[in-house]
Amino acid sequence: MADEEENPTFEEENEEIGGGAEGGQSKRKRVFSKELRCMMYGFGDDQNLYTESVDIEDLVIELITKMTRKAKSIGGSHGWVQVEDIIFLIRKEPRKFARVKDLLTMNDDLKRARKAFDEANYGS
Amino acid sequence: MDNACESPTEKGGETRESDEPTAAPGGSRVTEMDGIPEETDGDGDGELKEAAAEEGELKSQDIADLTAVEREDSLLTPAAKKLKIDTKEKKEKKQKVDEDEIQKMQILVSSFSEEQLNRYEMYRRSAFPKAAIKRLIQSITGTSVSQNVVIAMSGISKVFVGEVVEEALDVCEKWGEMPPLQPKHMREAVRRLKSKGQIPNSKHKKIIFF
Repeated sequence: MADEEENPTFEEENEEIGGGAEGGQSKRKRVFSKELRCMMYGFGDDQNLYTESVDIEDLVIELITKMTRKAKSIGGSHGWVQVEDIIFLIRKEPRKFARVKDLLTMNDDLKRARKAFDEANYGS
Repeated sequence: MDNACESPTEKGGETRESDEPTAAPGGSRVTEMDGIPEETDGDGDGELKEAAAEEGELKSQDIADLTAVEREDSLLTPAAKKLKIDTKEKKEKKQKVDEDEIQKMQILVSSFSEEQLNRYEMYRRSAFPKAAIKRLIQSITGTSVSQNVVIAMSGISKVFVGEVVEEALDVCEKWGEMPPLQPKHMREAVRRLKSKGQIPNSKHKKIIFF
């Protein structure tokens, strides 16, 4: 689309707001390049990826930005981002909700197991 | 909550350790501690099979807990007793379902080809670096965030990438082209997901009624 080439400054603004998935990424360094490649291969893409399709990183950053902002606004008076707010935000999306629930449960289990292990070790 | 069928979680067992899940809790659990599942610990170096074995052991510990609780039941009123039995039954049924699922996953993974094993390993092990995600979130909020928030956000991002890639593969197949995915497939996938409402877009408030 011709618009993106004509307004470079506009695109830079859009990076933060997350509007431009196609444009504006030339200025920003690729933060997740390696991990994204592994992830996309794991999800079914081919082993030799096009370099340009790693612009999904912009989408990811946009997602994180939007969710964090929303969670912060939900937080109310204190304005921290808390897990409960994030869970509230994804309540309508079954996959993400189930995934976060599993991750947090597993994390709790692991912490408990580690604690029990440390106590057992300490006792002996 | 039921596990989404396309995203096998840690409960899916890995190969070769099918004798682990019903082992005695307590002592033997300690030896499995180094098998930390990689999802919660992005740079975890545990083997995939140990992760499943540990998951199975934690379940058998729950079963031991249940018997200790039975003694308290005699003190409850009938209504409370019934409620407790209901939740206990549900818990047992869920554990059985999980064990079935673990077994099925083990059978499936043991029959993978070399390339499939490779891809499965990438699927399980790939994760976003916690430090970078934490830095990103903190740069937006301005305050520090707890570890759980970082874990949740990394998980959400990974699922999101999965959704986009799967949709893009559908688009690619529909257009009669082959992977590797090209940017045009991804863009079409994002457009489709947006119309399904899977991608948050807070800029435009939808006006439903005029």
